[in-house]
Amino acid sequence: MQLKRILAIVVKEFREILRDPLYFSLCFIVPSALMVMFVYGLSLDVENVPFAVVDYDKTNLSRDYIYKFAKSRYFDLKAYTEDERKIDKMLDKGVIRMELIIPEHFQENLFAGRKADVQFLIDGTFPYRTKITKGYIVAMNADFNSKILPSYISKTMGIPLKQAKSKLNPIGLQVRYFYNEPVKSIYSLAPALMGMILFMSPPFLTALGIVREKESGSIYNIYSSTVTRSEFLIGKLFPYVVISIINANILWIMVTSLFEVPFKGNLPFFAVATGIYVICSTGIGLLVSAFVRTQVAAMLITTVLTVIPAWLYSGTMIPIESLKKEAWIEAHMFPCMYYNYIIMGSFLKGVGTSILWTNLLALIIYSIVLFTAGYLLFHKRIKA
Amino acid sequence: MAEVAIDISHFVKRYKKKIAVDRIDLSINKGEVFGLIGPDGAGKSTIMKAVAGILKFDEGTVRVFGMDIGSERNAEKIKSRLGFMPQGLGLNLYPELSVEENINFFAHLRSVPKDRLSKWKEKLLNMTRLKPFKNRKMKHLSGGMKQKLGLICTLIHEPELLILDEPTTGVDPVSREDFWEILSQLLGEKNVTALISTAYLDEAMRFNRLALMFNGKVIARGRPDEIVNGVKGSSVKVLANPQTKAMDILSRLLQKPEVVDNYIKVFVEGKDFKQATALVNDILKKNGIKVDDIYAEEPELEDVFIALLQNCHSDLPDSHSFSLSPIHLSVHSPPDEVAIEAKKITKYFGKFCAVDNVSFSVERGEIFGLLGPNGAGKTTLIKMLCGIIPPTAGNATVAGVDIHHIRDVRKRIGYMSQIFSLYRDLTVTENIKLYAGIYGLTKKETRMRLDWIIDMAGLRGHEEDLAGKLPMGIRQRLALGCALVHKPEILFLDEPTSGVDPIGRRAFWDIIFHLSREEKVTILVTTHYMMEAEHCDRLALMYAAKIIANDSPQRLKQDVAKKAGVLIKITTYKPFFSLKILRQAGFKVALYGNDIHLLTSDPQRDVEEIRSIFTENSIELKSVSEHPLSMEDVFVYDIKNLEESYAT
Repeated sequence: MQLKRILAIVVKEFREILRDPLYFSLCFIVPSALMVMFVYGLSLDVENVPFAVVDYDKTNLSRDYIYKFAKSRYFDLKAYTEDERKIDKMLDKGVIRMELIIPEHFQENLFAGRKADVQFLIDGTFPYRTKITKGYIVAMNADFNSKILPSYISKTMGIPLKQAKSKLNPIGLQVRYFYNEPVKSIYSLAPALMGMILFMSPPFLTALGIVREKESGSIYNIYSSTVTRSEFLIGKLFPYVVISIINANILWIMVTSLFEVPFKGNLPFFAVATGIYVICSTGIGLLVSAFVRTQVAAMLITTVLTVIPAWLYSGTMIPIESLKKEAWIEAHMFPCMYYNYIIMGSFLKGVGTSILWTNLLALIIYSIVLFTAGYLLFHKRIKA
Repeated sequence: MAEVAIDISHFVKRYKKKIAVDRIDLSINKGEVFGLIGPDGAGKSTIMKAVAGILKFDEGTVRVFGMDIGSERNAEKIKSRLGFMPQGLGLNLYPELSVEENINFFAHLRSVPKDRLSKWKEKLLNMTRLKPFKNRKMKHLSGGMKQKLGLICTLIHEPELLILDEPTTGVDPVSREDFWEILSQLLGEKNVTALISTAYLDEAMRFNRLALMFNGKVIARGRPDEIVNGVKGSSVKVLANPQTKAMDILSRLLQKPEVVDNYIKVFVEGKDFKQATALVNDILKKNGIKVDDIYAEEPELEDVFIALLQNCHSDLPDSHSFSLSPIHLSVHSPPDEVAIEAKKITKYFGKFCAVDNVSFSVERGEIFGLLGPNGAGKTTLIKMLCGIIPPTAGNATVAGVDIHHIRDVRKRIGYMSQIFSLYRDLTVTENIKLYAGIYGLTKKETRMRLDWIIDMAGLRGHEEDLAGKLPMGIRQRLALGCALVHKPEILFLDEPTSGVDPIGRRAFWDIIFHLSREEKVTILVTTHYMMEAEHCDRLALMYAAKIIANDSPQRLKQDVAKKAGVLIKITTYKPFFSLKILRQAGFKVALYGNDIHLLTSDPQRDVEEIRSIFTENSIELKSVSEHPLSMEDVFVYDIKNLEESYAT
């Protein structure tokens, strides 16, 4: 192994990356841009759901009920009419995602101690959002009930309002959220995205970097020279690992400063784990480059191989524990799951080596396997 | 007995089921410059890669410097001793790196010691005249410069074996000349063995020995003169009237003829000058064709190669294909009309001027050739005339239409580029029908055009073949057919014959000739093959974004003859050494193959002086004689003069 030859390849690679505007932006701009776009575009909090009301009752109580929704930050009142057909159209067009219909005699029935019904029509095209919306409705409806019921009981039974209230709600609920105290989705989303981007970008760059040389023919310089396989691979991959580590730093700063996500864990441990994770994902790029000849193919295959596991099997979208058995096995086959545990542990839970070391070990094993396979598949004497 | 550098025996290589090289035996001696010549797909690259130790093969053995390189481990052992330059102009270089950075990278890869590197680099940069461009990025170099940089990078570790895969393809004649000269100087100095492939037959004379390859087989091998002498025959040149009819008849009875300078040139195998002339004369007279002038000369290597290739060729169009009744393409424009007129047309890309104030006109039915080194602006000019890119200033009319009216222009022109734009997964018929659909032909028109194109391009029997599976020559003719589907008045051809073998090229030019003469289609063509330039009615020479000469080949030659005098060819057994001493004596000589060319206004005095120089240095002089100028001489003379004036 000659350090000089490795250095020559490293220097050449860096020069090419820094001077080619396309590669430069792929390396340094795209990862940060992805972070910004995903965080803002993928906010999972359901807020300001646009809705419209058909109020056939038009009483104080019906207006109170509507106002409860309209003033909340979860809903946004778009229209108030008496014509149901108009509103249906709005739902079709997607202007609103929920309808509230209050029938006649709403106030009258309630004051008379009878049951009164209201109807909610919710856009079900996006089930996740629908379920959350339904949850809000149920909670707010219950809250409304608990406000008018005591006054009715105190009136009819002749007991003080306070007594009536405690009689009706004998168990007081005290909830505190752990790890992500304000339950902001960005607190888990932004760090998880860091893991996703660091799983997608390094293999993409690596595979392109190697396959580009195959496509142009400059790989023949390597094949026909005395450079050994390991010298070439080290020299070729080193720049991409360095670039990805720089990106990891940028992303970490973005997550903690721009998105103000607290970092509670062990920073040195997290840094080491991230370094190994990046090496590991670079190895995926190396492996892909062994099988393809064109940059287009390299792009497609790395995208499929990295985006799907990063989204579905990392635990970002769906918790690993709630995956089906087959999916659970698949998730354990991709390194992004292990790193996601490290991310969640380090950012939100504030735990360190003692709990996360198994995940780190898994990443190390992955890196060794990927690099060994990549090395064995790379030949300086080819079939075609 | 010379020492053997490369020994190949029973070599077989398959790509999936297709046999690329079929049981070849080759032996190359140390210090030899060995050529592999043949069309695309003949198997040249496969052999070169195998010898460089970077390609697995299926059967046989390859020994390089005595080492059997059948395994990757053994192949590694010879790599320090060889330099390999893959195919494709500058493709193995790094575009973002400067000239010097490229060279240093290759040197570091090869662990060249610092002091040796700096000396050797200096020398190579000086020799290739790339020194002033040391800090220029590779992507900003011209084609010829890229090629020379590629050579430096391959030579930087002073290999004993040099493997160059088509180093001159796509490079203009001046750069090519330059390249060979540098290479021969270097090879002469050190005892380097070289294995070089080329698709240009006229380069064959530069090799000590060569193998002519076709379809994975060697069909002839030996010294160039041995190969020429191996096939007996004469090349007959005839000035006949009417020319097209004469061409039809001759191509039916003899080997493919071609038109050079208004003369039809045809090779007659197995006959001496007298017999051959008589035979051609008889044939023409019997068919009522007037013969104005006829004479025979020694066949050229290309004639011999074609004779050899013709036996293995099956994809030629039937020779009677041109006797079909012509469907007139566009009869609505009156004769003697100007087909293309460019008025001070200019194109800037940013600050870079690609075409500078160019004016010229082409008459209807003319074959107009556009020549010039890589990067002179030919392709940009064609693209402007086709309405693909708008000019920065100036204007042009094509078939009477302003080029700014893109739709009207497109209806009247056909365009065929170097990369034949065909759909490889469609059959021949489907491709033609597709183009007919794009141009909005009716069903009836499509059927008629389909028939016409299939006949014209000699595609009978291939109608249902996939375009991607056709041999190069046929694919090229299909591309031509597709460009003609909408009966264009003007046809633009941008290096249409790159990579096509000589027979395919001749068949192609027959069609072009036919289109121009019978159908009155105007043809504007760019090419690097100087033989093809001779087929044109008129030539424009482009250099550094300007047209610097525009006339018939005949007139261009006369001009150069007026300025520089007559051409003297000097043949010796020691061309490199002779070149050196003649230069020292102050002669402006150039090396063409093994011949030395000299342009002189006083041939008698110069010949005498040359003779005395040769006797002084005791070099045997094979022959010194006057020769008519070829288009290549004209091109090299003009461009070299310009380069000199630009340099000062």
